[in-house]
Amino acid sequence: MANLKEIKRKISSVKGTQKTTRAMKLVSSAKLKRAEEVAKRSKVYALKLTELLNEIAQKMNNSSGEIDNIFFYENPNPKVVDIVFVSADKGLCGGFNYQTIKRVNKLRKEYSNATIRLSGIGKKGIAFFRYNNIDMINQIEDLSASPDYDKASKFISTLVEDFIQGKTDKIILVYNGYVNMITQEIVEQQLLPVDSSTVELKSVSMSELEVEPDDDDTIIDALVKKYIDYTMYYALLNSLAAEHSARMQAMDAATNNAGEMVKKLTVKYNKARQEAITTELIEIISGMESLK
Amino acid sequence: MELMKLEIVTPHGVIFDDEVKQVTLPGSEGEFGVLPKHSTILSLLNTGVIVIDTKDNKEISVAINSGYVKVEEDRTLCIVDGAVALSGDDNNLAKAIEEAKELLQKATQSNMGIATAMSKVEHISKTL
Repeated sequence: MANLKEIKRKISSVKGTQKTTRAMKLVSSAKLKRAEEVAKRSKVYALKLTELLNEIAQKMNNSSGEIDNIFFYENPNPKVVDIVFVSADKGLCGGFNYQTIKRVNKLRKEYSNATIRLSGIGKKGIAFFRYNNIDMINQIEDLSASPDYDKASKFISTLVEDFIQGKTDKIILVYNGYVNMITQEIVEQQLLPVDSSTVELKSVSMSELEVEPDDDDTIIDALVKKYIDYTMYYALLNSLAAEHSARMQAMDAATNNAGEMVKKLTVKYNKARQEAITTELIEIISGMESLK
Repeated sequence: MELMKLEIVTPHGVIFDDEVKQVTLPGSEGEFGVLPKHSTILSLLNTGVIVIDTKDNKEISVAINSGYVKVEEDRTLCIVDGAVALSGDDNNLAKAIEEAKELLQKATQSNMGIATAMSKVEHISKTL
């Protein structure tokens, strides 16, 4: 027979855990709202920047047939591939980080005949690859919990420099993106070379567009760099929102499970108590019987 | 007087979005003013101060670090990395001016541009 005291102790311990998970869920949902808000505000910038990039690419496209810029050259046999991933700094968010790691590993297999260089953001992902003795050229830990434009741009700029100097042929960004409160989706995005299919070539009458400085390369170089900086920053915002939504879900599930466990334990406790009473009764009755 | 739409956006959100009479921008090839019906132009922006003449005849200054501007006939769109609007009541303004100075200090451009922008910000803080 299970010890009554033991069961009681278990119940109160599970209840304690439940309290923690419930609090964490509330914290995450509040943080999620904020993260969502930041991402939404930032989206305006993304829209405008893409619009501008489209227009300028369009202009260059007209003059030479295809976009004539270093950032758009696609190397069909990449020799060096850079993978940049964004993971969370903290755990307790279900499969959130693991999903990202899984995708990174899949990409490493895909490009197994090229040299792969990893760059990581977020403690959890970094810890995983470090544990598995996989080298990373770049890593930063306290960025995914509080996205910062300057830091993000500094982080990615070294890779962009490498790309310009021909040290790397491709830069891929992997992160777990936010879809809605209950769904996250892995995003795999090619940062460089800029995928010209992301640039919509609409026919706009651009004949009168003046450009200052009067050098297409200067302006498109700067624009592409900004586009990459921003994409990196947006990935961080998006990943943070996704992290909170994943944690919210995980904590919700944990709270429910704890509730169920408390229920089961209570039933067990009642049964054990019942059993104890029955045993005692039998003892009393049989004692009385023997006195007759 | 004719009006045009002016938008200033940063990665952190929209700083300004309203109808204006005129705007002066720190272009990379020199400062230039834009009135409604300006021809389309795309320009890089240096560190500096955007001066806006609003529809109700007020002057608002926005300190920026760097970015782009796309001018169309009836719309001007500024895409900048960082911006601080120098407006609001005295208390907020003092804070905004401090922020603007900090923003300009961090900018990585020529000292001349920063100095010019700084002196403008100083000027604004004195006139108010």
